[in-house]
Amino acid sequence: MTTTSTKQVPRLDEMTRSELIQYLKDTVKPEEGLIPSYIFSHPKVYELEMEKIFLKDWLFVAHKSEIPNIGDFVTREMGGQSVIVTHGADGEIHVLLNVCTHRGMKLCRMDNGNQKNFTCPYHGFNFKNTGDLIGIPFQKVVYGETMDKSKMGLKEIRHDVYADLIFATLNSEAVSLEEFLGDIKWYLDLAFNRAEMEVVGLPQKWNVDGTWKLGSDNTISDSYHTLVSHGSIAKLGLVPTGDYSKYGYQIYTGNGHGLNLGMPNPDGFAFPESLIDEYKERLNEDQYDILKQMKNMIVCVSPNIMILISSMDLKGQKISHTSLRIWKPTGPDSMEISSWMLVEKNATEEWKRLSEQAFTLTFGASGIFEQDDTENFTDITQNSKSPYHLQENIVFNYTMGMHQEPVEDFVGPGIVYKDKFNEANSRAFFRNWLDQITAE
Amino acid sequence: MHEDIILQHEIEQWLYKESELLDQLNFDGWYELLSEEISYTMPLRINQMEKSKPDYSEATLLFDDDSTTLKLRIDRMKTDMAWAELPPSRTRRNVSNVKIKEVSENEVAVHSNLLLYRSRSTDTTADLISGERKDVLRKENGDWKLVSRWFLADQTSLGTRNLAIFV
Repeated sequence: MTTTSTKQVPRLDEMTRSELIQYLKDTVKPEEGLIPSYIFSHPKVYELEMEKIFLKDWLFVAHKSEIPNIGDFVTREMGGQSVIVTHGADGEIHVLLNVCTHRGMKLCRMDNGNQKNFTCPYHGFNFKNTGDLIGIPFQKVVYGETMDKSKMGLKEIRHDVYADLIFATLNSEAVSLEEFLGDIKWYLDLAFNRAEMEVVGLPQKWNVDGTWKLGSDNTISDSYHTLVSHGSIAKLGLVPTGDYSKYGYQIYTGNGHGLNLGMPNPDGFAFPESLIDEYKERLNEDQYDILKQMKNMIVCVSPNIMILISSMDLKGQKISHTSLRIWKPTGPDSMEISSWMLVEKNATEEWKRLSEQAFTLTFGASGIFEQDDTENFTDITQNSKSPYHLQENIVFNYTMGMHQEPVEDFVGPGIVYKDKFNEANSRAFFRNWLDQITAE
Repeated sequence: MHEDIILQHEIEQWLYKESELLDQLNFDGWYELLSEEISYTMPLRINQMEKSKPDYSEATLLFDDDSTTLKLRIDRMKTDMAWAELPPSRTRRNVSNVKIKEVSENEVAVHSNLLLYRSRSTDTTADLISGERKDVLRKENGDWKLVSRWFLADQTSLGTRNLAIFV
């Protein structure tokens, strides 16, 4: 006996590019709060994302404080491509394709360091930290006069800096970084321009069998999950119980960027009192006023950056910490998380130490906040791989807050909702995502 | 020599006991093995070319704990909302190459290898955390207590979804 069914599983892998784009437009309905399950793991969707988002957008590669001296460098990955971010001999920042122009070998295989030159391990082509090719073994013998070294420098990737964050893009036609970031800059100032900030050490990295999108989706709108996913933290008394995570604003600033701003802070000022003059000098009055009241701030810069300021009580002291992470896609159903911790350069050593300890306890690979999120990311992604989800077009409900209207009386820019329990930002994020991957 | 063998045996048995308590999720029992002064850290492994430089960074710590914060981690496991380990992973800590490096009146410095197998949920792929431990144990009221643990993983990018487990 056989069981028959007339139901067909849509074969995304057999569709033409335009059929696939049409299918996405027909099934992903951000304004209605309907997000289909298959987008969280389908290889065809991932192909589009890599091509139309990660080869097109501005991506974070490093913070300026990571390469303070001439010769300093870090290696990073963007859009599936390794790059070397250098503080060149010319005093400028360079973002160089980590691919030898001779035969394609990965030039630098270290995480960081200080070097004048990079020598290819394959045939010994030698490049300056500005990207210029300066040496070829036996050049005269093997090339005679035919090799023009000036045309064989490392490919320089377009880059720009805002708030000491070095961004790069693999898209030579991308709009300026300034335009790409738009009004999210006002909030990036709170995180990275409020004081001179410096990265502590190097980013820690770990791997999760979950899609990068769930990281951004969670970042941009989800304060609601705190009650349950992070319920253990309230039970320990590290944060207030009940609906504390509701209070504040959810803000969308365009291009897939947005944030949740937790305020007021019932515990008072969460930053070093000794730096108040520096904060006042660097922020405008409205921004400083927000900083004074801030409990936490979780910013998503599309496609895959999360910025966090979080404050807590640790060892009888109120303390805040600042961090940045990227949800780096490593496949349709997997990502690597890289997480940078930053601290006010001019804070006291004692304050820095406690801030670092508070961060490591709560965020990062071992963080008692962050570790619970990876369960959600993994299991949603793995569920979504079932063909049953495609056959039935299983969609998830992102309708929270559709009855709410934005408020007009908030001092910062963007579309602003009072209270953070809302999925408006996810709807906006997925609209931006859909527009990007379905662009012709 | 005889005393060395006895001490080696004692320390190895202590490390096996510790592994057993953690593998059996007996975190209160494990906490009893720690000195109040414990420093529990995990620096970040990095790729470095020059052999003269350490291939890790102690500026970035993946664990940065003392007895207060370790207690918080353990108390969290007892809430019914510690989802990262709910249901718990199956773990198997294999400790080997136990080398006693220094012995003083009431302290020993001991280095060992840890190969930690973690099976999470229905995953068929194994998470392996391999690395080296540098511990200091101190005799307190007749019992060995862990005063310091320094664990350095071999991976620069960890192949496990989080560090909701002890190393």
